[in-house]
Amino acid sequence: MRDFEDYCWRDVVTEAELHIYSAYVRERGVGKHPALLVVHPGAGLEIPAAWTGPAAQLLSEARRRGLLVLHSVPPGATPVAALAPLPDELVCTRPCESAFFSTDLERMLTTGHAQSLIVCGAPTSGALRASVIESKSYGYKVALAEEAVGDESIFLHKIALFDLAHKYADLMSLAELVEQLDEQTGTASKKAQTETNKA
Amino acid sequence: MNAKPAWDGAIDEPTRALLGRRKVQPFTGTRPVIVAVDLYDLVYDGGPRPVRELMADFPASCGEHAWRALPPTVALYAAARANAVPIVHVTYDTRLETDPRGIHPTNRRRRQPDLALYKIKDELAPAAGELVVYKKRASAFFGTPLAAFLNELGADSIFVIGESTSGCARSSVVEAWSLGYPVAVISDCVFDRSELAHKASLFDMHLKYAEVMDQPAAIKHIRALSAQRN
Repeated sequence: MRDFEDYCWRDVVTEAELHIYSAYVRERGVGKHPALLVVHPGAGLEIPAAWTGPAAQLLSEARRRGLLVLHSVPPGATPVAALAPLPDELVCTRPCESAFFSTDLERMLTTGHAQSLIVCGAPTSGALRASVIESKSYGYKVALAEEAVGDESIFLHKIALFDLAHKYADLMSLAELVEQLDEQTGTASKKAQTETNKA
Repeated sequence: MNAKPAWDGAIDEPTRALLGRRKVQPFTGTRPVIVAVDLYDLVYDGGPRPVRELMADFPASCGEHAWRALPPTVALYAAARANAVPIVHVTYDTRLETDPRGIHPTNRRRRQPDLALYKIKDELAPAAGELVVYKKRASAFFGTPLAAFLNELGADSIFVIGESTSGCARSSVVEAWSLGYPVAVISDCVFDRSELAHKASLFDMHLKYAEVMDQPAAIKHIRALSAQRN
């Protein structure tokens, strides 16, 4: 796995700032019995679509392994087409920012026997950030793949991931996260290993 | 707004341009309540020095940033109390049986600090009759009676102050906004270990959830409401 600080915030966070966060540097990983939470953005945001491909890949990896998949969607918004919920996947309408606030998400995670979360979606600094922090508050270990989240502002995206990675979640690249899933399930495929080596 | 915003110099132009589409409700209301997050001795530990110099001996201290916010916060409390604006204090629940296996609000590696340091700082101590909320997680609302306290106080708008700007204060702001309150963050009375995280979160909260105002503007707001009542 790459160095803890070797992610997208490298060019906006100075060495001096990194130094005062050194107590957060630690081993990262995916928790036990993870569910995948896809945080779909609201309408009217101008979020570059680069995150949707990696998120779709993460979604397909989760489905292939039979993980519980849940979608958080704002009222009236259409889910991102590339991440459209399957008929048997749970969709929780969120009235505010966190996927938990005034929704039945926590109940769904309990009844679905999830013990940790993998979260992808957008915007990084809004609904995704609030959802990750509340996941942590509910006692779930949270894993994030940096390519599978996106924001209107590159700057807010980087700072939000910096904050989340240090305080609340285990941030990895998509390849690193998939490798963790493989190790967990003991089903490392040659394809995943090749991609990890490339990354 | 100040002449110079509190996040001055930290936010790039494309990101600042997003303010053109800001839709946060104005900070209105006649019965504001101040929610003061985590202003306990631990964050002032080691004195008003740069955080990098305090890290080894006082890993949770916000150092000079905490001390800089102290005088404006003391003055804010005096104005609030003189004008019948309630203050709800928030601190960490230190009962050992609530933390038996080292369950913590963030992923910081930590030595268990002296639990006595979660006492609210003397200068900001709750006055007789003021409410205190004891929390375990980032948001002051999570697992606490704060939402009920605000209803019982008749709050219709919330000032958030305290620390850290990017952590507990921010997640409390998001939850106050989610509950439907107009929210104001008083920029001189919130602080963080990192100036970058402080400024980025102030901007982001102003963009999405709250009105960021300085302490003189907040006191003006409180006094104007008091004048209307009399």
